[in-house]
Order: sequence, then C-alpha cells, then structure tokens
Amino acid sequence: MADKAILYDASKCTACRGCQVMCKQWNENDEVIPTEENGVDSRNWGSYENPKDLSPTTWLKMRFTEVEENGQMRWLFTRQACMHCTDAGCVQVCPNGSLYHNDLGFVAYNKDTCTGCGYCIDACPFGIPRSDRNLLTGIAKMDKCTACTSQGYNRIEATAAEADAMYESWKGELIPACVKACPPGALKYGYRDTLVAEGRARVDYLKSQGRGNATLYGENELGGLHVMYVLEDSPDVYGLPVSPSISAATIAWKDVIQPVGWAVGGLAIVGLGLNWLVARANINKEAK
Amino acid sequence: MTQVEKYKKPVRILHWIHLVAFVLLFLTGLVLFIPGLGFLAEDSWTRVIHRIGAAVFIIAPLIYLIVKPKSVLHGIKMAFTWGSDDIGWIKALPAYYFKGDESKMPPQGEMNTGQKLWWLIVLVFGFLLVISGLIMWFAKTSAPPALLQWMVFIHDVSFIVAGAMFFVHIYNGLFHPLFNEAWSAIYRGTISEGYAKKHHGKWYAELSKGKE
Repeated sequence: MADKAILYDASKCTACRGCQVMCKQWNENDEVIPTEENGVDSRNWGSYENPKDLSPTTWLKMRFTEVEENGQMRWLFTRQACMHCTDAGCVQVCPNGSLYHNDLGFVAYNKDTCTGCGYCIDACPFGIPRSDRNLLTGIAKMDKCTACTSQGYNRIEATAAEADAMYESWKGELIPACVKACPPGALKYGYRDTLVAEGRARVDYLKSQGRGNATLYGENELGGLHVMYVLEDSPDVYGLPVSPSISAATIAWKDVIQPVGWAVGGLAIVGLGLNWLVARANINKEAK
Repeated sequence: MTQVEKYKKPVRILHWIHLVAFVLLFLTGLVLFIPGLGFLAEDSWTRVIHRIGAAVFIIAPLIYLIVKPKSVLHGIKMAFTWGSDDIGWIKALPAYYFKGDESKMPPQGEMNTGQKLWWLIVLVFGFLLVISGLIMWFAKTSAPPALLQWMVFIHDVSFIVAGAMFFVHIYNGLFHPLFNEAWSAIYRGTISEGYAKKHHGKWYAELSKGKE
C-alpha cells in the first residue's frame, strides 16, 4: 500500500480551529476542566490560541505565531500534532512495540499494551506525545494523534491493491477527521507522493508571489514526514525545528545499551559457569 | 570448630532486605530491557512494584545509617582504604579464582579486596541508580526531555554494571568452591576460625591479639 499523508497549507489556513473541534468530536476526547490534573489550562492567557497546550485528550491544536513585518503584525498559523515521521524517535524507543508504523506509514499505537514508560514523550523531536501520569505510582498511558487510523476509519484489512482500490472509490470519505472538517481546504489527505508534488507546486506559487522563504516542511525531514506543511516563511518563524533530529540518547537505548546489556549479562553468566567448572575441578584435584 | 562473628544481626537484616528490594528492582527493570518481556510491563503495574522496591532500597540503608552510624562509617572507611596487599590480591586473583592457588594471596583484612570492590560498586552505582531514578520518578513531568533521556541512559548503564556484578556476587556467595562459608557468614553471622584465618588473615590476627 502506498504511503498516505496529510498536507497542511499554512497559507490557506484561517485558524478557524474546526480541525481541533472535529478531532475531539471524532476521537471522543472530551474537553478537560481547566484546572484538572494533566489537563490543559484553557483559560484566557492573552492569545486566541486555545487551549494552551496539547494533552492526553487534545491531540491537535492550532498554534498562533505573531511576527512583525514592515511595521505590521502578521499572524502565522501552524498545526501542532503528531508529524508521523518515517524515522520516528517514539517508535525507536518504545520498549515493547506499542508504537509502530501502520500500513499507511502513519505512527500508530496500541494503548492496551502501552507500559507508560514515557520514553516516547522524551524522544519526540516535536514534543507531541502526552500521558495522563500519576506522579507517585507512575501509572500512565500515552496518547497522541492517530491520523484517525486506530478507529478503522481509513485502515482497511485488505491486500495492498484492494485497499488502494477501496481508497480510490471512497475518496473524500476515508480521510482523517481534521481534513474532513477544514473549510478553506488547507488540509488535504492522499498519497504522499501526490501531496509532495502538490506541496512543491504551491511553494513555487508562493515564491512567485514574493514569499521567498516559502518551503515545504516535512518532505525530507526525518526520512520524510507523513504530515507536511506548506509554510510561507522558514520553519523557525513558526516555532518549528529547522532540522529536526533524533537525539543520541534515543538511538543509544535500543541500538547500543540493550545489546551491550545482553552481552555483558550473558558473558558474566557464561564466565561464572566456566569458573564453576574449572575451579571445582582444580580445587577437588588439590584436595585429593 | 570455633566460630568467629563476621556480620552482626542488624547488618545481616539490612543485607537481606536490600537483596529482596534489589531483586524486585532488577526483575521489574528487566521487563523494559528485553523487548520479548515487554508485555509484562503493560498497564504500568511493574512500575508500581519497581517504586515500592525503590522505596525499600533507599529507606532501608538510611534507617541503618541512623541506627548504626559507626558501622556505616567503618564499612565505608574499609572500602576506601587501599594498600599494597590489595594490588597483590588483584594480581593473584586469576590463579586464585580459577585454580584455587592461595600461595600468592596476600593476607586480607576484615574486608578483602574483592569485597571492597563490591562495596565500591554498591556505593557508586547505587548512588547513580537512586539519583537518576528519583529524577525520573519525581521530575518526569517537569524536567527537560533531554535530561530525562540521559537519566535513563545513566540508569541503564548502572543497571548493566550492577546487574552483572550482582551475578558475580550471588555466584561467590552460593557456588564458588573457595567461599564455602560465605553463606554462613551472611545467614548465621559466623564463620569458622579456619575460614577466617584463610580469607581474612590480617583481621584474624587482630582478633586473636585482642583476645590475649
């Protein structure tokens, strides 16, 4: 099955937050009480951006960035939600494979098997996953955007060819809730290759309109993101990491520490076993 | 044979409580370390056990420190006092450990060089495990992600070193043919005079002098 993706066009977005509302409605993520533990403070904090941050029940929110340009204020909008990386730090560190890539290329997760270790939260270059954590006992479960795949919304148990055919005939229906909600068509869902081409064309257009720094974010970042942004300016202006990367500690955990641990533990046991055989034989011999 | 007291009752109780806590911590940590066992950690219940174990692991020595401060100081002093006999011990170790060749073994004090090394490992890696663990426990939602990631790194490296040495510790206590009274020392608290003479020559000499 060919990879799918979401394309978000910041230059078309009006920040109506219809996507945010639809995300909560479709995923049955009830609004949290402002002061609730692990919830998000949704009281007025001097911005239309609301709520202030993601939470275990807020998987998508629009970020409002204010910049000054020629003495005038410009409002820049971006999504804040899982970017569904190909080189996903969260998948890399998940101890028991609860986080994984599904057939569509999105980063899905099995909440039932989540151990609540929180390694994914620290490994994410975009700071997306959240957990409802009891600080004393450590009981926790991770949550984040699923690209609406975990409800079987656009994931079909079929062969790749069948699934693609079904996707073709159901186009416009089997799409994530946020995309479906978007009034100005700033969100698109489809084959990743198609969306990359569309994004590039849009960036070229924006450049021709005087937006010299316009860029397609996510085309190549972290092996290619499955949520790409058409930006009117460079990513850092929007508060996005310019070259997101996976930290050394993220890579070390499974690729270095675990194998070294097994080797050291194994060698210690084998060495002690050998010692037992050799020392016992030698000492018995001497005793005789 | 006449018995000599090696470990007093309070320190033996501390040893066994700490051992139970360590084994709990070791096993509940292992489930995150071996992907095939990861299913056991589902729903965080191994973390709850890990934290109960951690509380015992931290509080038990602190209580001992309050009740028996002199004993702790004595132990730490012994672990950090190194001399030429310790170098000699390390040189003679391979032949001793594998062949039982005691001819080149320098006489040892109350804590022999191997026990000193074990003590140092317990102190250093115990400290690292406790500090990194406490940060991951109580600062999980407030510390910067990079710091938490490196705390996991420190916790894991300490786990590997302490865990491997824990195997050695169990092996020496239960299986190595030369240390056949180690179990008696930590279970009943006493060792035979002959064993004391052989394994802690300097200490035994001091003990006999005190008696005369």
